[in-house]
Amino acid sequence: MSLTMPRRRRARTAALLALVLLAAPACADDQGAAGPGGPVKIGLLASLSGTYQAVGKDIRDGFQLYLSTHDGRLGGRRVELVVADEGNGAATAVPAATKLLKQDRVVALTGVVGGGSVAAVYPLLNEAKVPFVGSNGRPELKDVSRVWHTSYLSDEPGEAIAQHVRDDVKGSVYAIGPDYQGGWDELRGFTEAFAKVGGRLANPDGRTTFTPFPTTTNFTPYFARIKASGADAVYTFYAGSAAVDFVKQYAQSEVKDLPLYAAGFLTEGGVLNAQGEAARDIYSVLNYSPDLDNAENRAFVAAWKAEHDGSPTTYAMASYDAAAVLDRAIAAAGDDPTPERVNAAIGQLGQMASPRGTWQFSPTTHAPVQKWYLRQVRQDGRALSNTVVGDLATVGG
Amino acid sequence: MTGVVAGLRLDPYVVPALDGVAYGLLVFVAAAGLVLCFGVAGILNLAHGTLYAIGGYTAAALLDGGWPSLALALAVGVVAATASGALIAGLLTRVAARSHLTQALLTFGVALAGGSLLVGAFGPDDPPVRVPAALDGSVAVAGHRYAAYRLVFIVVAALLAGLLHLVVRRTRAGMLVRAAVDDAEMVAVLGVSPARIRVGVLAAAGALAGAAGVLGAPIIGPGPDTADAVLLLSLVVVVLSGLGSMTGTLLAALVVGQIQTLGVALAPSAAPFLLFAAMAAVLAVRARGLATARRAT
Repeated sequence: MSLTMPRRRRARTAALLALVLLAAPACADDQGAAGPGGPVKIGLLASLSGTYQAVGKDIRDGFQLYLSTHDGRLGGRRVELVVADEGNGAATAVPAATKLLKQDRVVALTGVVGGGSVAAVYPLLNEAKVPFVGSNGRPELKDVSRVWHTSYLSDEPGEAIAQHVRDDVKGSVYAIGPDYQGGWDELRGFTEAFAKVGGRLANPDGRTTFTPFPTTTNFTPYFARIKASGADAVYTFYAGSAAVDFVKQYAQSEVKDLPLYAAGFLTEGGVLNAQGEAARDIYSVLNYSPDLDNAENRAFVAAWKAEHDGSPTTYAMASYDAAAVLDRAIAAAGDDPTPERVNAAIGQLGQMASPRGTWQFSPTTHAPVQKWYLRQVRQDGRALSNTVVGDLATVGG
Repeated sequence: MTGVVAGLRLDPYVVPALDGVAYGLLVFVAAAGLVLCFGVAGILNLAHGTLYAIGGYTAAALLDGGWPSLALALAVGVVAATASGALIAGLLTRVAARSHLTQALLTFGVALAGGSLLVGAFGPDDPPVRVPAALDGSVAVAGHRYAAYRLVFIVVAALLAGLLHLVVRRTRAGMLVRAAVDDAEMVAVLGVSPARIRVGVLAAAGALAGAAGVLGAPIIGPGPDTADAVLLLSLVVVVLSGLGSMTGTLLAALVVGQIQTLGVALAPSAAPFLLFAAMAAVLAVRARGLATARRAT
């Protein structure tokens, strides 16, 4: 016994040493910022591991697709894309962002899946004075002078679909969503706009029902309450595995005949495959659908399908657009694209032609002013897909 | 609680109460293995949720909407999870005599590694699970719609629970296992190696978790978070049951099921805390769990 302990401790020390040695070469390459005419370094931070890795990989692949279809260049310069793993949130995002900003000295940062990660990385951006062109999460920030987003604000999907639900549903609507910041924002966007146009919620106390997140995996008790409330339709927002559980159980519940309206993430990307038949006929609102009929989208979808299985998601599209924003901004920043000049150039871009249709940055929120689409899950060839069935409001800013 | 229910209209609570039985029985089959491990072998196996996930992923990979695929998935899932349970027992032989903390650290490491392997093999998304076509719909129960698969699951899981009860009560293996709970040293003196009982119990726990994973995949589906969710529910059952007997475990699992469904339907605003409030209440009132332990120590 007395022999084994030190031996084991020695083994542990050896293992630790090996780890340190493994990590060291990864930190060794440190190049300066781009000189005039040389390549530019762009940092991409996204969840390549953890709960949101499906979204993170879409964001990475969307950006890389833009590069590979544009000769590996942005603004005429060769791009060195440094990819870092955001992990599950702020705790892993901050060290990764610190490396990109301090060590790799990137000209601009893009990606970032979680709103919490953006909030945590935000002070570093201000310190390094580097512009951030985010392609997904978006928290409330006081000063957005260096922060841009190509995605959306969380309350916009609900705001965009409220009028349509009011016109389409004869009666009251039950609002239900997950109990965390993203869920509150998504549902508030809907309920406020819905009340403004004279809609009535079926929830007993007139307020949205929030389900514990992420612990709720069984929605049956909530469906029983929806049934008891006498609602004529349901509006919801869930993403990831909660979206799969909600949709599959809804289709077999006693409220399965009530029309289901949702923020588009309920049926977006991989979750739609997991939901299968259960997702048929669900209406959702989103800023993108792969079947949009415009030249940019046809090129984007064709290029995506050449490299990946299935259709591109809104996450991949937003990241593709982030690359397009940087492409034009770096070109406009002149001979020496410093972070400051790139940031100033982003502010002057005006309208962007994109797979989602034309959009532009709002001068106040630095998020897109864009059109939203009503989609329905329908048969498309062999698979189910989100098919655009109409235009909704233009929202943003 | 009953007084409150009687005062309200009962009708909206029929489906949640029925669903609570399905959910409770699933939690029972999933947690029974952990109770066996902890109660008999004294091993805190934090990789137990991963064994369930193995069954779940097997179901997702093999089920194609027909009955033969269900039988195949059940066989493959149970064998894979049993083998994984035995593997964990093998890893644990060197630290078995040590504290629960050492075991917890080791099995937690196994759970993390196993989780990564499963995500690596099956991808980060929740894979779809196809139940046999005959059960892929809903049926009328007391004027409500209820998922057909869950109704059948209640019957199958109840049979499993009865079978488990018989094995533990009536077979020689079950007697040895119960004897090991009461007095491990005496069993060793009788010539049965505690190490063999440990491997056997962990393998049996794996088989139960694997079966729960395959059959329960349409209810608690496979995904990156499944292992954690199942482990959490199983640990709550362990606390509530007081590790006394299979009957206590069944009772605790059914309570967990009802709290998660009927409790949520009755008091949705308290939903996040209900499970743990119940656990704290049971611990405060009776430190041994819902059913008193048979042993007097």
